[in-house]
Amino acid sequence: MRRSPILRRLMATTLPVALVLGSAGTTAVAEPMYARNMSTYGLGGGIDTPTAETLPDGTLGATVSWSDYGRRSSVVFQALPRLTTVLRYSRVEGINDYRDEGYISDRSLDLRYQVLDEQGWRPAVAVGLQDFLGTGVYSGEYIVATKTVTPSVRVSAGLGWGVLAGKPRIIDNSGQGGEPNVDDWFRGGAKPFASVSWQVNDRLNLVAEYSNEEYVAKYRSGSAFQQGDEPDNGLNLGAYYSFGDSYQVGVYSIGGNTFGAQFSILLNPRQAPYPSGLEKAPAPVRPRPAPQADPDGWSGVWAQDPTAQPAIQTALGDAMAKEGQILESMALSANRAEVRLRNNRYINQAEAIGRTARLMTRALPPSVETFVITSTAAGVPASSVTVRRSDVERLENTEAGQIADASILSDAAAGAPGLVRSEGVYPRFRWSIKPYVDLGIFSAEDGLTHEVGAEARASYEIAPGLVLTGALRQRAFGNIDQRGPGIPGQRGEYYTPEEYEANPALETTPEGVPRVRSDTRMYTGNSSPVIPELTLAWYAKPTPTVYTRVTAGLLERAYGGVSTEVLWKPANSPLAFGAEVNRVKKRDFDQLFDFRDYEVTMGHVSAYYEFTQGFTAQLDVGKYLAGDKGATLTLTREFANGWRIGAYATKTDLSAEEFGEGSFDKGITLSIPLGWATGQPSRERVDANLRSLARDGGAQLNVRDRLYDRVRDSHSVKLYEGWGRFWR
Amino acid sequence: MNGALKITLAAALLAGLAGCGNDSEGTGPFGILAQTAGQVVAQRSAAEQPAEQPAAPARSPEDAAAEALRVNPGPLIQAGFENLGRTTAMAMTGQNGAMRTYMTPAEEALILRDGMLVGTRGLGNDLSVAEPGTEGLIRAGAAGTGTRIMRYFAGDGVERPLQFTCTVGAGPAPGVTVENCEGHGARFQNSYMVQGGQIAVSRQWIGPVLGYVTIQTLRP
Repeated sequence: MRRSPILRRLMATTLPVALVLGSAGTTAVAEPMYARNMSTYGLGGGIDTPTAETLPDGTLGATVSWSDYGRRSSVVFQALPRLTTVLRYSRVEGINDYRDEGYISDRSLDLRYQVLDEQGWRPAVAVGLQDFLGTGVYSGEYIVATKTVTPSVRVSAGLGWGVLAGKPRIIDNSGQGGEPNVDDWFRGGAKPFASVSWQVNDRLNLVAEYSNEEYVAKYRSGSAFQQGDEPDNGLNLGAYYSFGDSYQVGVYSIGGNTFGAQFSILLNPRQAPYPSGLEKAPAPVRPRPAPQADPDGWSGVWAQDPTAQPAIQTALGDAMAKEGQILESMALSANRAEVRLRNNRYINQAEAIGRTARLMTRALPPSVETFVITSTAAGVPASSVTVRRSDVERLENTEAGQIADASILSDAAAGAPGLVRSEGVYPRFRWSIKPYVDLGIFSAEDGLTHEVGAEARASYEIAPGLVLTGALRQRAFGNIDQRGPGIPGQRGEYYTPEEYEANPALETTPEGVPRVRSDTRMYTGNSSPVIPELTLAWYAKPTPTVYTRVTAGLLERAYGGVSTEVLWKPANSPLAFGAEVNRVKKRDFDQLFDFRDYEVTMGHVSAYYEFTQGFTAQLDVGKYLAGDKGATLTLTREFANGWRIGAYATKTDLSAEEFGEGSFDKGITLSIPLGWATGQPSRERVDANLRSLARDGGAQLNVRDRLYDRVRDSHSVKLYEGWGRFWR
Repeated sequence: MNGALKITLAAALLAGLAGCGNDSEGTGPFGILAQTAGQVVAQRSAAEQPAEQPAAPARSPEDAAAEALRVNPGPLIQAGFENLGRTTAMAMTGQNGAMRTYMTPAEEALILRDGMLVGTRGLGNDLSVAEPGTEGLIRAGAAGTGTRIMRYFAGDGVERPLQFTCTVGAGPAPGVTVENCEGHGARFQNSYMVQGGQIAVSRQWIGPVLGYVTIQTLRP
């Protein structure tokens, strides 16, 4: 139930201060063996060879490494204390495929698991798979042990297969790749590798290693390519310098004849500059006067006065507005008050609830003993926290678990008896004009792309749950130009926009798959204003555990139509089910009010589950934009401070040829709350979606504000994860 | 001055970039960054003030205290935050039993229970709540040992308790009780001047980042 995770979290530990609180700095006791430099492959390690080191749990990092062998851009995530994952986009030099460009673009995925940690005489041991989805240029496997010899020197030794043994796997580029070739793993002869790392001082780390990597790529066609120059020998040397809390630069030599440089950024969600936030102190609880000092207030006769509630509601609403909350409505009787609050400021809903509870002690007459604080999302109530006023008075500024135990979380019905809407909340009109920046960072084909412009956005909430939203964008400059999809069979060549628009037959691939996403670049580069979205959305709550959404209009850049969704999610349940049905039509490339011919009805049934420690899983099964049927599995790790890192994979009934490169769609989503970086309280986020390629299989509709994430903030798992902020 | 001007200009540009609208909470990434930059500038110019205007003498803590007493009718304390390098008068904004909340004009708060520090707010590395098991010993001026639990937010947004073992005894100066605490590789020493069970003057540890605060009662 809800108490166990809280209690677990609140149990005292014996770890040092810096480790518990995540404050930077060194400590005298032994830490887990964290990597001191990043390898060219973007994991903790030697130069080219791996080690058994890990990064601090939750670390998210990026490394770009350049040399004559190519450019590797890697994103690393320490998904679990022992599991390191890497997604890598590389430009590999010296290989001529059918495009004959002298290099290829390659994506690869690595996993490393630390089987044993270092204890006493025993070294840490890790097993790794490099470029394991399909056979790629970097495919290989390893087992490696790392041992601390002196506090500043670590030695690693291991056995490698594949490229790590200098025996690259034969690449079969007739298939579409993307599926693990388990049969090849740990086969084909192993060779040893080793590295030594010396931490000279806090900043400088020197590494020497022996590697068998030969930088050769072999293809089934019989051709073999030497990337860059063949290394003269197996000895690699590197020097790495760390600065700030999160940056590292490095230079290295491979085999004595090739030199390279790299740059890494490592961010740890657990290290925030202002862990408690810089928000202003909350208004404290105002205890009630003694009954003899306020007999009228205690007797409840004030409730007969019709002017009482409006006055109280206005005063409470004003006070809540100062703390970034909207008092949407309120029901008040002599001994019970229910407020419906919309949290516009705090990442953790518990902070909004705790502040509202304190403001209620300041605004409500003494006879009101029961506080019901109902959180709303998209105009509909999501959950209610019921707490006794005496408990708020008694437990103010105590350990947050106590008020959690004294309160009850329950489902909230759409209406409540006596609920009076606050004046001036609806209709609510908001507008803004802001710059926007679109960045494409990891496109191996295009390198860094960008577009900058201005966006005007307005929303008009006509009534609770009924919202009209529109946006207008004007591009100012950038290099994301309009272009057609790639010409089949001629990779690297694209249709011109004119060619593509002139021939409607091109909107279906030769395999017969409608181009639902692969022509996404046709929607970019407009020099005239475009309308990214214009929708009317209606949110409702037919029963206390069922939410519905209907969104109609221009839903996203490329599709318009109607999207409907229903979600079952009890406030105290980690499990939820949903269904979504959309009838959409493809928008014209000018992104105004015209449509193209393609039209589809698609949708999913979904199951959601919230595991412990911030892990959530979502399984969608249904039909995608191109009419293909299949499933998407999404795993997300979420921190109480709002960081979210997720990975998803989609497999549909399209064959590998129809689907295109990669065979199935996969990607990474990332969302960082701005408040984490600045300390200022805010619900604003920076989001990124690293998806492998814009392809037509497994394509989802990008409709805004799906129900699950809107509703969940005030539901048990997420609410209690951030409950520590109740008294903030 | 020049540096500050450049930053102001940069902040103004950022603010320009941040655009406009009627939605104060949804200012977007640029808006938040601009706000932050603006605050940095404000802090910097505040810090540079004395140098720029030598005519206006820097206010001594005594002058500030005297002015606070004149302006505020209610209970007042003066708090010196050692790691922040500033001393401010703080006025009581709420009282719940023995627990009092004192705030600075910028709405940073110290929460005291009869002078014993139980929490801070608005300082960025706040002490969420302290549970000093040594409180009885300190108020009685007795010697002994006890456990003190201090709760903090870790960087991941979860509140975590740190447990310290503390020894209470008479300090070097008469009337001063000291509390030596140790745990999690950290150690600190709190000093209290207790008069009739009330802690009139004290130097107490907030946490690893904020360090010590010296609290003096201006008006009980």
